Amino acid sequence: MHRPALVAALAACASQPAAPPPIRFLHTFDSKETELFNATMAERRLAVESSLVPFARGQQVIAEILNDGKHCPDAIRIDATWLPELVAAHLLAPPPPALVALDWTPEAAALAQVDGRWWSVPETVDGLFVARDAAQAAPASPSIDDLVAAAKARSSLAVRVDGYWLVPWLRAEGVELQPGDAIASQGAVHALSKFAALFGGVVPAPPAAGSEAPEELRRWNDGEVAYWVTGPWQLGALRDRERVAVSALAHAPRGGQLLVVPTCAPRPEAGWRLAGELTSVTVELVFADAFSTVPTRRAAFDSAAPLVRAEYDALGSAEPLPRSPVTPLLFDDLNPALAAVVAGDATAEEAAAGIARGWHRLRTRP
Amino acid sequence: MRSSLRWRVLLVLSLAALVPTTIVGVLAILRARHDVEDEVQRGALAHIRALGAALDDTLQDARRTVELAGASWADAPGDVRETQLLLRRLRRDVPIIKSLSIVDPDGKLLYGDTVPKGIDIGSHSFGGYIGDAVFEGGRPTVHVVVQARGRTGELMGVVIAALDLGFVRDVIAAARLGPGARVLVVDGTGVLVASSDGSALAGSDPAVDRALESTVEGTLSEHGIVSAYRNLSSYQSLRGVRWAIVHEQPEDQAYALARRTTRDTAIIGAAALALALAMGAFFATRLTRPLADLARRADAIAAGHTTDGPPVRGPGEIGTLALSVDEMAKRIAERAELQAALARGDRLASVGVMSAQVAHEINNPLTTVLGYAKLLQEDKPEGHPDRTALALIADEAERMKKIIGGLLEYARAPRQSEPAMQATTGSSEPAAVVRHVAALVAPQLRKAKAELDTDVTATAPIAIEAHALQQVLVNLVQNAAQAGASKIAIAVAPATGNVATRIVVRDDGPGVPAADRARVFDPFFTTKAPGAGTGLGLAVCKHLVATAGGSIEVGDGPDGRGAEFRVTIPNA
Repeated sequence: MHRPALVAALAACASQPAAPPPIRFLHTFDSKETELFNATMAERRLAVESSLVPFARGQQVIAEILNDGKHCPDAIRIDATWLPELVAAHLLAPPPPALVALDWTPEAAALAQVDGRWWSVPETVDGLFVARDAAQAAPASPSIDDLVAAAKARSSLAVRVDGYWLVPWLRAEGVELQPGDAIASQGAVHALSKFAALFGGVVPAPPAAGSEAPEELRRWNDGEVAYWVTGPWQLGALRDRERVAVSALAHAPRGGQLLVVPTCAPRPEAGWRLAGELTSVTVELVFADAFSTVPTRRAAFDSAAPLVRAEYDALGSAEPLPRSPVTPLLFDDLNPALAAVVAGDATAEEAAAGIARGWHRLRTRP
Repeated sequence: MRSSLRWRVLLVLSLAALVPTTIVGVLAILRARHDVEDEVQRGALAHIRALGAALDDTLQDARRTVELAGASWADAPGDVRETQLLLRRLRRDVPIIKSLSIVDPDGKLLYGDTVPKGIDIGSHSFGGYIGDAVFEGGRPTVHVVVQARGRTGELMGVVIAALDLGFVRDVIAAARLGPGARVLVVDGTGVLVASSDGSALAGSDPAVDRALESTVEGTLSEHGIVSAYRNLSSYQSLRGVRWAIVHEQPEDQAYALARRTTRDTAIIGAAALALALAMGAFFATRLTRPLADLARRADAIAAGHTTDGPPVRGPGEIGTLALSVDEMAKRIAERAELQAALARGDRLASVGVMSAQVAHEINNPLTTVLGYAKLLQEDKPEGHPDRTALALIADEAERMKKIIGGLLEYARAPRQSEPAMQATTGSSEPAAVVRHVAALVAPQLRKAKAELDTDVTATAPIAIEAHALQQVLVNLVQNAAQAGASKIAIAVAPATGNVATRIVVRDDGPGVPAADRARVFDPFFTTKAPGAGTGLGLAVCKHLVATAGGSIEVGDGPDGRGAEFRVTIPNA
């Protein structure tokens, strides 16, 4: 090659813009969601270096990483209950106005904010509702009593031994999920008793710890369950989604998944770009079609499948959990105490007292 | 052209068999190689699955044992003696525990070893977790943190166990790996926990990155390395283990079997193809040789040499074709002979017609000459010198009339080429005719000192007029006597199939030379001395027999001596 040509070729190579580094992303998708995420990003030609954070340890691991600041990601997918603690710790950056100004549903917009200020972009809205076979009549009303009455007629109701599922029963007794003495009140004891009394009667015995989700799916697919208190995260795995109908459950908790950009993010603009892609109408519909997740954009919601729209309607009457940093920690004590009552190892009074002591410790911790 | 036929056959064989076989063979080899490579990758994946399950089982067993111990402790957290005993049992039951502590819900040490700083005692983790790998004293370690809750579910304390991951290295070191292969175990941040060969990670490893980004497992071929990876967190995330296992092997060693198989298969395939080609050439030569012979034979036939060369033999259709060519050559020869005979017959017929006309024109004046010669001879007295000359004239005229009579007799028989050549409608009794002939020729035979035997066993009438059969037999017997035979026999017997009668006239004379047999029935052909015969006798016999629908042929007599004339006449 002649020298001028070589120089021109080298100059042409030097003038080529270097490929941008991939966006570093921590997420809590499950395996199937991760596969769809990877495929969608590849299709949209967005280079993403993603790491899966186990949901059970997500809050802990993310807090460790952000506090350490060494391997900080550009974006993170978190549960909505984790947001207040991260905001309180000043670990998050606010989203750009262009993203805030998008056509979010009111529920999604509320989820993304803390004290009226935007700290995240809402990816999905979830919560508890009642699922049933479309051929089955809905309970007379969203109330727990009507749900239990309808389930008794069919002898099958599915609820999980989990503090999150106890929330409607607590709220029905006027007890909110927040530290304080209310958890030791008669109302809370009554709620625990009523919830535990479901098992062995209208609700079959709970499956072994760790196998709740697959066992619930099996029971539903085998037709053993007439009414199922669950959330959008379970519907994507159902065999005949078109035969599913959903209805509201009074006092149900509502939450969702959010996309945040930490203050330590090396490329926050890349993080927000990924958040914008994941909440684009196209991608939200892709995930809604695949997993029956509830979109957060009005345009996506308007184009979603009927089941997804019914989910959204059912979640409309649900109430968010208190936006407090300690809210997710409350389940550490609530869950084992509830399990002890259901198993008959403890009375509702004993369990409630133990929960109260644990929550008191949370209030007094440094 | 002949040689190109072989090459064309070879070319057809190549196109029809070798080319598709080669293409299919190459595709099969590539497919087989791909399958073997897939199998290698699947084998590596199966290996790391088994390793991952073994490692995970060990950790989860340890965690469950710690959980049980924690629950047991939470029922009586203040019993120091029982707690010490419990911790000792726990260390014994879980030998990979390096350190063991129990702290209260606020993190204050209650029992056991000092807790390393920074250990989360379990909030945000649904009751416990297995932490990421850390290095303590140069040894990879994980902390199992389990909340100890009492009967009512109330948090009484937290059990923290540091597990020595040296067993991971032992497990993978004991694994039977392929040549050049190594196994890496990394934690969720890519920190190398153990490697089968004790080596460290060299910079960023793409397979490790893929493993940590992936949800489940996969394979990767990059920079000459075949990697299989599995992210253990994909199925254990709820339990908090976030590891990946990577199996690496140099491509040339990982796929050695595939390449060797490919090479061996290619060599065997090439040898098989070469053998097939050689056999094809051999069989093409064998297949085309009879064709080439046939072509030469056809050329010879076209040149008129219908009997040249040995007959061509070949298998199947070629053999049938060769037989057909032979048959064709035979037919052509027969036709040529027939055409020659016809041409000769035409010529003879023309001569016969002309001779008959000449004979007819001469016969009348000759009769006049003969008559006047006899009158003049009678007019001359005995002893007159002219009588001798007149007698000679009369004899020669008589002989000329005999010749002319023969010509006219020959001319009266229809020619073979004429449509009138059909069997005559007359019939005769062969026994009566033979008796009559024997009486007719008896004086002549006595003069020639010859004997005639007759043997008539056929009684059926035959389809020839009696005078014609008589003329034939008289001619044949007179010929034999004139040839010098002393014994002459006439045998009449039914012919094969009993639809004809065979009349055989044989003698013990000199016979008919083989060279003359084809012409002996031609007009004017005679072996007698000049003036002794007209050469028309046998020709007349043949025409009389042919006119009756029969045949006549000549051969050697019994024992090869004498002559034998075989006349076959259809029964009436």
